[in-house]
Amino acid sequence: MERKNWLRENWLILATGVVVGVAALVLTALGNPKNMGFCIACFERDIAGALGLHSAAKVQYMRPEIMGIVLGALLAALAAREFRARAGSSPACRFVVGMFVMIGALVFLGCPLRMVIRLGGGDLTAVAGLLGFIAGILVGVAFLKKGFSLGRAYPVPAGEGFMLPGVMVVLLVLLAAVPGVLKFSEEGPGSMHAYWLVSLIAGGVVGVMAQRSRLCMAGGLRDVFLLRDFRLLSGFLAIWITVTVGNLILGNYNLSAASQPIAHSQYLWSFLGMALAGWGSTLLGGCPLRQLILAGEGNGDSAVTVLGMIMGAALAHNFGLAGSADSVVDGVYKVGGIGVNGMVAVGLGFLVLLLVTLTHLPGKEDA
Amino acid sequence: MREKQPRLVVTFHTTAGAVATERLCRKRGLEGKLITVPRSLSSDCGMAWSAPPELRETLRAALSEAGIEAAGFHELPL
Repeated sequence: MERKNWLRENWLILATGVVVGVAALVLTALGNPKNMGFCIACFERDIAGALGLHSAAKVQYMRPEIMGIVLGALLAALAAREFRARAGSSPACRFVVGMFVMIGALVFLGCPLRMVIRLGGGDLTAVAGLLGFIAGILVGVAFLKKGFSLGRAYPVPAGEGFMLPGVMVVLLVLLAAVPGVLKFSEEGPGSMHAYWLVSLIAGGVVGVMAQRSRLCMAGGLRDVFLLRDFRLLSGFLAIWITVTVGNLILGNYNLSAASQPIAHSQYLWSFLGMALAGWGSTLLGGCPLRQLILAGEGNGDSAVTVLGMIMGAALAHNFGLAGSADSVVDGVYKVGGIGVNGMVAVGLGFLVLLLVTLTHLPGKEDA
Repeated sequence: MREKQPRLVVTFHTTAGAVATERLCRKRGLEGKLITVPRSLSSDCGMAWSAPPELRETLRAALSEAGIEAAGFHELPL
């Protein structure tokens, strides 16, 4: 009886996890890169490339999934009368933290959502990322307990809340009507994609369901550590199980730490990159997927965070910060990963997060 | 199966508000606990304070005195 009650109360988050997992499998089957049906970090990076914000030729494509997620969340919020234009919660800090969340994710070669999808493909190199993500969230939670806050947001004119969805509409129009102004990869991950309309619809469905269920990778772990509440985490687990079962059925499950698609085995930096992403996501109040959803709901601060993430993606590829995949060269296995620039960027990211954290704790008299 | 009971749910603009409320209530011996914001109340994924409904005015006064800004006081079965 208790189990039935739990299912009745949590069916939506579980259904969302299943739908996200199925959408990821379908998009991969229809052309998205392997183990990358969805990746908020990689896709925002591809969008940055499509706009010419970076010149890494293999990762340039206007990913409709991102536009679909924001617009799906917008429609769901409007339908439920939950669209609320608000802003003013340390936007400059959020922009910069968003940048470093993206850099950390690109060091690992995936956002928290892709981390779960990689695990669902049998990619054991993602375990280091998962451990790092958990560690980063634990650090963030420790500071939340000490009263860390970026401050409250305030109601603002509706136009502020509609701005990022409006930008997404413009990007969609460019893709559909004037693709010649955009950059398109001719090889590499940027050249691998499902038909744009399918990607848009899949993103839209995910956006609607993630808005209704409040799905969030970082929030799921945060709630477990802070409140012993497993509701959001169950959505995370539903994605993992769905992708695993789907890959087993399709014959795409490859339990291994070697030669995984768009992955590297530089475990220390996978750990540290996702620790950066986890800590930053906790400070921001949500993972990269959740930032897109919040932006669709009218949150101007999350919109700024998304722009920060796109900037971070551009910087990652302009300055050689992002990870590169393992490869086989002349029959020899070559471990990919990051170079010195990436290592410095991760170190700088931890320093910046620490500074943001320390400057947003309550004073002694407020403690 | 535990039956749902009416509870006072206090929501906040920030997670820090909820955490500060927990600290305040523990200090003053006021019954309650931190919970995730019920979905029926908000699309925000933050934290709220759940307490017995009869503590509404006590909590309102305590939060005001401590300078903790609450977003709202709600009563619902949990």
